[in-house]
Amino acid sequence: MQATSIVIRKRVTRLFIIVGVVLCLLIGRLAWIQFVRGEELKEKAKLNRMDDIPIPAERGAIYDRNGEELVVSISSDSVCAFPPLVKDGDPEKTAREVARVLGMKYETVYKRITNNTNFEYIKRRVDPEITQELKELDLPGIDIIEESKRSYSKGKLASHILGFVGYDNKGLDGLEVKMDEYLSGTQGRIVIEKDARGRQIPQALHERIPPIPGNNVWLTLDETIQYFVERELDNIVTQYEPKSAVIIVMNPETGAILGMGSRPDYDPADYGKYPEQNRRNMAIQLNYEPGSTFKIITSAAALEEGTVKLDDRFYDPGYATVGDRRIKCWKYPQAHGAQSFEEVVMNSCNTGFVEVGLELGGERFYRYINAFGFGQKTGINLSGEGKGILIPQKDIKPVNIATIAMGQSISVTPLQLITAISAVANDGILMKPRIIEKITDGKGNVVEEYTPEPVRQVVSKETARQLSLILEKVVNSGTGKNAYLEGYRVAGKTGTAQKAGPGGYVQGKYVASFAGFAPADDPKIALLVLVDEPKPGMYYGGQLAAPVFKNISKDTLRYLNITPELSEEEIENREEQAQVLVPDVVNTALEDAQVILREAGLKARIEGEGSWINNQQPKAGAKIPAGSEVIIYLGQRGGNIPEGQERTVPDLTGMTMREAGQLLGSLGLQLNPEGTGVVVEQKLPPGTKLKSGAEVTVVFSPPVWEPSP
Amino acid sequence: MIDRRAIRNFDFTLLITIILIVVYGLIILSSATHATMTRGGDADIYVKKQALSFVLGLVGIGIILKIDYVRFAKYAKFIYAMNVMLLVFVRFFGEEQKGAQSWISIGSFNLQPSEFAKIAMIVTFAVYLAGKEGKLTKFRDLIPTFIFFGVPMMLIILQPDLGTGLVFIGIYFGMMFVAGAKPSHLMVLVLIGALLVGGILTAQLAFGFEKPLKPYQLDRLTIFVDPYKDPKDTGYHVIQSMVSLGSGGLWGKGLYQGTQTRLNFLPEQKNDFIFSVVGEELGFAGVIVLLALFYMFVFRGIRIAMKSKDLLGTLLATGIVSMIVFHLLVNIGMAAGIMPITGIPLPFFSYGGSSMLANMMGVGILLDVYLRRQVLTF
Repeated sequence: MQATSIVIRKRVTRLFIIVGVVLCLLIGRLAWIQFVRGEELKEKAKLNRMDDIPIPAERGAIYDRNGEELVVSISSDSVCAFPPLVKDGDPEKTAREVARVLGMKYETVYKRITNNTNFEYIKRRVDPEITQELKELDLPGIDIIEESKRSYSKGKLASHILGFVGYDNKGLDGLEVKMDEYLSGTQGRIVIEKDARGRQIPQALHERIPPIPGNNVWLTLDETIQYFVERELDNIVTQYEPKSAVIIVMNPETGAILGMGSRPDYDPADYGKYPEQNRRNMAIQLNYEPGSTFKIITSAAALEEGTVKLDDRFYDPGYATVGDRRIKCWKYPQAHGAQSFEEVVMNSCNTGFVEVGLELGGERFYRYINAFGFGQKTGINLSGEGKGILIPQKDIKPVNIATIAMGQSISVTPLQLITAISAVANDGILMKPRIIEKITDGKGNVVEEYTPEPVRQVVSKETARQLSLILEKVVNSGTGKNAYLEGYRVAGKTGTAQKAGPGGYVQGKYVASFAGFAPADDPKIALLVLVDEPKPGMYYGGQLAAPVFKNISKDTLRYLNITPELSEEEIENREEQAQVLVPDVVNTALEDAQVILREAGLKARIEGEGSWINNQQPKAGAKIPAGSEVIIYLGQRGGNIPEGQERTVPDLTGMTMREAGQLLGSLGLQLNPEGTGVVVEQKLPPGTKLKSGAEVTVVFSPPVWEPSP
Repeated sequence: MIDRRAIRNFDFTLLITIILIVVYGLIILSSATHATMTRGGDADIYVKKQALSFVLGLVGIGIILKIDYVRFAKYAKFIYAMNVMLLVFVRFFGEEQKGAQSWISIGSFNLQPSEFAKIAMIVTFAVYLAGKEGKLTKFRDLIPTFIFFGVPMMLIILQPDLGTGLVFIGIYFGMMFVAGAKPSHLMVLVLIGALLVGGILTAQLAFGFEKPLKPYQLDRLTIFVDPYKDPKDTGYHVIQSMVSLGSGGLWGKGLYQGTQTRLNFLPEQKNDFIFSVVGEELGFAGVIVLLALFYMFVFRGIRIAMKSKDLLGTLLATGIVSMIVFHLLVNIGMAAGIMPITGIPLPFFSYGGSSMLANMMGVGILLDVYLRRQVLTF
């Protein structure tokens, strides 16, 4: 019998063909996954089973120009174990060795290193000598990881420049963020194989890629000069309670910033405690009307263009009329009367400068304003720099030219102004301001070097020298008398600008400033002092800022070993004075110190309260003229930390009593122990701010390791 | 009883193919279960149980071979009634595993009635259709078949076991086509089905209806389109399966060497995703061998369908082959990321006694049809 009809056989055949086609499509799909996407999926399978434990790289340090540490990373070693690898070896022997070297209990160590995990810390913050011994033993599954913490060793010093890092050691502000790519280094990794639930697996792959430490950044800043700056800023704040204050010290020949600071400020180690306003670097961010200090720029332009000569005659009736506006001189209702251009500058006469400005004209004036770098960033290696504000040249009216000539109707940043004035000091050559000197790697090799960068010749050398002489006269016998410094030729200009507010200038709100350089014939420093909104009463730049200028330039010039050359007049005015060595009075009682200083022929200036000397300025060994003042900082006995300086309570958890005592002692704090063993609790949490000398109560208890999950 | 003629009429090729498939399956199962069992317990327990099911299946084949399939007609009504009753029973009293109420426990054994329901359905539907030869020419002639087939199928879909439901649809179309239903009519059915599914998906995806599928069910069904939408949860299975297959390459990582399998990244590796284990450890080569063996099985099955002495035998063989083919398509398609995750086993590979027994019964029926392709007189 015929099995089945032809029709049915046909249908079955067709069905078979359909199935065949579908199966072929399926094979095609599989081939695509296994061949075309094979590599990509292989990589995914690898990622699936690899556990990555990052090893942090040590962050680079920031040094001043002489290699003084401003910011460093304090590193500590942690001993860790990879239990799967430990178990591949001889866990008992490993535990014995580790316990012996670390001085821990065998049971504790054994439990940790054979735990049912992939990664385990055995002990954190271990002495490098001890870890070195462990490294040499080269035990299976035992590894050392270096961890680091940022330390701002000089407290608030240069805080605006340095910036700070966040909890993960990433830069958040200042150079810490600007130079982050250099400082941060490259994270290392430990790669371990794991299963879907993250558990250990036998014969696991294990790989260690070491971290590359960050590079070190060297600044043009000089710690000592920066210290002078900070000291004077503190004085300004105490005396005048201004809204803000800025001091910049620059080397006019190279554009190097030697010192730069502003108030209000903050502590980078504890930045969260300060309002955001305090973190602004006013030296580069503040836009202000420079007032009379800007007359240096006006004079430079007019002298260079030849629109004015030194002996050109001016007449000041007390005011100038421009269009329908009457611009008063600061001396109004009195007047300067007849005067030469030199006298106009010395008197800072507004009327005279209005005339000079108008004679110069908008087009020429703007060419110089731009050439001196106003209205544009200087390009310094700091973030958040301001540009200042200029009236667009096409909108300029004669009255604007007249006011700009005397430093109003124009906004500049402190850095722009000192850079421009440095150009006058530097024979007319504008230098790009620099804060970074070089970058070195961990071995001390120079990775990158920042050399002085001339921007352009703004005015001729002759004009610059001519102007310097006039500015010297401003200090010798003009409005800048308070900046006069015996033995040095100082050039400078005062500035007092009434602050603009809605609807015109605001009564009682001023910016007092002084800008200049010294020695005038061969300038080594250019200096700007700016006090924004001092408390009512005193506001003239000559009264407020000039004495500060004098203090800083005196200390700085001596520090830079620029010997004073007394003019004949000065020699007559004083008797011969011997240079004396400053004795060391740090860590002596106040009475003793006063005696020592007196015997050395020096005067003592006392700062702070207390009966114990914690610090002195200048430091021991410096040579200064007899009869000069040595500032002594008083405090309590116990560490040469000036009293009132804030200390941060460290995390003591897990330390022995000796370790805790040493750490607190190094910070000038006292340990008040309770119990024995290792630290389990501290009454003041880490990060608490304390005055040095304060007591920290810490609870100790015998160590108990809780098993890891 | 078993005389020389019977031996001549026995399809040894089919039986050997099945034995090869099962042995291959046991090796893979051993690798797939080795990883899960490294932490204590008998590492070979699954392999042993699966081998036992296979032996039981061989006994089952022996029993089926004793019965002339023509006599199925007599018991068809009884089988159909038992089938529906069992499915109703499991619907109300069954145990729930992995979200589907499809298990019955008898002592320490867990039976999955839906596995056997497929065989019961093939047998009863074949008997039903054999009596309808030449009577399926009009579209309305199809309506009774919907009811006949639809009742058990709906019970399974409601469990909910969408995967098995999908296989039912495959069986239906395969058998109807061979029984003589017009292709145009079947196309209309496909169209209606497509519209229905499309309509439900549109309503749920675009308009936010939450019925008939619950949101999580919908997610699981549609995630294969873009598994990276939810790589940790609903998309995890597909992603890990594709990673396993893809990382295998041409020759695979070697038996017992698959990292995805060994480290448990691949989920359900002894059940629904055992195919990915083959792909990872033995590569494309292993996959081709597996598919070639199944091809041989399908080829022998179709050959039996054609050599059958009557329409009933042809329909039985067609039903069994359709069932296995659909299982292959849906399971491998799922592993390869082109089918929704419905969770149905790879025949003779995936771990599970009910599935193995049911599939072996299917093989028994195929062999039976072949054995009795000539009218024998004893």
